[in-house]
Amino acid sequence: MKKQIIVTIGREFGSGGHEIARLLAERMGVKLYDKELLYELATHHGYSEEVMRRYDERPVNVLASRRVRDFSNSIEENLAHKMFAFIRKTAESGESFVVVGRCADYVLRERGNVLRVFVRGERKDKEKRICEIYNVSPRKALEMMKRSDKMRKLYHDYYSDIKWGDTRGYDISINSSLLGVEKSVDALLAVVNLMQKQDEE
Amino acid sequence: MNAQVLAIVIFVVMFIMMVLEKFERHHITLVCGALVLILVFGFAMHSFTAVRQTLNVESIFTPTFWVGGADEGTSGINWATIFFIAGMMVMVEGMGKAGFFHWLCMTLARAVHYHTVPLLVCFMIMSGVLAMFIDSITVVLFLATVTVELSKILKFNPLPMIVSEIFCANLGGSATMCGDPPNIIIGTSLGFTFFDFLTNTGVIVGICFIFTVIYFWLCFRKGLKKSEAERPEGIVYPDPKDSIKSKKAFAASAAVFVLAVALLVTHAQTGLSVAFIGLFIAALMTVAMLLTAGPAAVKHIYSHLDYKTLLFFIGLFVAVGGLEQTGVLDLVAEIIAKISGGNPYIVVAVIIWFSAGASAFVDNIPFAATMVPVIRAMSETMGLDIRTLAWTLSLGADVGGNATPIGASANVVGTSVAAKEGHPIGWGKYCRYCAPATVLVVLISMICLFVKYI
Repeated sequence: MKKQIIVTIGREFGSGGHEIARLLAERMGVKLYDKELLYELATHHGYSEEVMRRYDERPVNVLASRRVRDFSNSIEENLAHKMFAFIRKTAESGESFVVVGRCADYVLRERGNVLRVFVRGERKDKEKRICEIYNVSPRKALEMMKRSDKMRKLYHDYYSDIKWGDTRGYDISINSSLLGVEKSVDALLAVVNLMQKQDEE
Repeated sequence: MNAQVLAIVIFVVMFIMMVLEKFERHHITLVCGALVLILVFGFAMHSFTAVRQTLNVESIFTPTFWVGGADEGTSGINWATIFFIAGMMVMVEGMGKAGFFHWLCMTLARAVHYHTVPLLVCFMIMSGVLAMFIDSITVVLFLATVTVELSKILKFNPLPMIVSEIFCANLGGSATMCGDPPNIIIGTSLGFTFFDFLTNTGVIVGICFIFTVIYFWLCFRKGLKKSEAERPEGIVYPDPKDSIKSKKAFAASAAVFVLAVALLVTHAQTGLSVAFIGLFIAALMTVAMLLTAGPAAVKHIYSHLDYKTLLFFIGLFVAVGGLEQTGVLDLVAEIIAKISGGNPYIVVAVIIWFSAGASAFVDNIPFAATMVPVIRAMSETMGLDIRTLAWTLSLGADVGGNATPIGASANVVGTSVAAKEGHPIGWGKYCRYCAPATVLVVLISMICLFVKYI
């Protein structure tokens, strides 16, 4: 039986991080916990899809929220902690999986069998990918990129003491423009296999 | 002048840091308190007297701090508030551990045969009444948790009930001296008794409460009735007895609670100070739980004590002491006096609406702690009755917190419990119901104050 390996993937918007995560999960033969699956799971716990789409992976508005003991009125924060609890629980179950975003690199920081990956990309490549996927102008793509990356950074840095994208918080930081999506997956899979072998030894 | 500027800068920075929540709030107030002692009193004023008066430790060793004297020190750390809140924390933890609150909620739900509209009214009343004696955070925490639990069984949307419970807890807390921290600060600083509050703010709150119940009933009755009509058959209703983990511990904690209420209601007659009552009740609850539930239960109670809030209060009182000792608060009092032109109607209107407006967005505890010396100075300079100003400040600060989800601690706890269970209450949803209700209640309170005191 293969030993548990968890891959967390942080990503810049348009870097192909999600696609890399999807292909990696497929080739590892494990589940991919991304927006779709996490939303589906959350609906089983009483959260509507509308709430998830509106508040998931969104930064806390510090001026509109307040904390009392362990309680916060911020919906974003409550939802984030629900996601973190779910990621922790899944990790504790012994299941191998790939998870996209949701501060998983920080949430699972104390586990030994986790490969923390950050996927970045060159601006022109990211812009091109966004234009293709969302069918928008380059200007709009740049706007979307800036907004999404800002949101992801604020979200991550609110919970984590290591900044989003800072290499010290990850085991591998990969530039998808260098090798492309497929070969980036090959590279990551090679690391996963080495981790498996190391565990077996 | 330098001392005044320094004190203001430290206080403003403290407030901004609390809003930004980059650090825990007790760390913020303690650091700011230390800065006041060192920079303002030490370097700028060279006054050891100011340090001594602000730390106010001597007051604990005076007999009147415990028995026979209603008045706390005139400035600095309000130790009576700290002792009382600590005592109440022990009592409430003991009651929660014994299952008292859960049992009470379930008993009331069964008493109304699990009909949702009567349950709404019932939980609103219970929230208000319990908050008169217990801190509103605890009341809302237990009520909101049980409401979510019941909503899953009875298949209704818990949002209307949780919002109403939060509102009523804050309102109920403003009726008595021990209901809400601003009232404890006002009462102990100005030497009022439990009965003083009950017969003044309590009466006004009683009138407001009737309007509040009607308001929320009108807002939510249709939705709740509809969900009850759609409730599926064959529901297994919970038994309140299941909430009680140990009958002995339950009886003991209930008895301590009844005794605490009796001591508070009669403290003007017995002469016992709230500091004494707090400490006595804490000791009694500790012994009761030790005998009925064992040392593990006592360990649980003390490990769950919110000592951070007590440290927060200590730092806060020192930071406010900086403003007081440097005369900044006297200046604020003069400004309010100038704006009002000495007209008591305008003074009451300014204080109540300003307090309510400020408390809707910032913590009402530091606000009340800051305003107490201001109203004391206003009373002296303008010749207004301190009691009228105190009731005005109390009602404004307590009720104003209801307007937004961050206005009071109970709001944060209630909305957080709901969000954790998949029922997020954002600003829009919360303010749609609570902001108009807050305006209504502040307006009624102001009219009552005009009619009764001016």
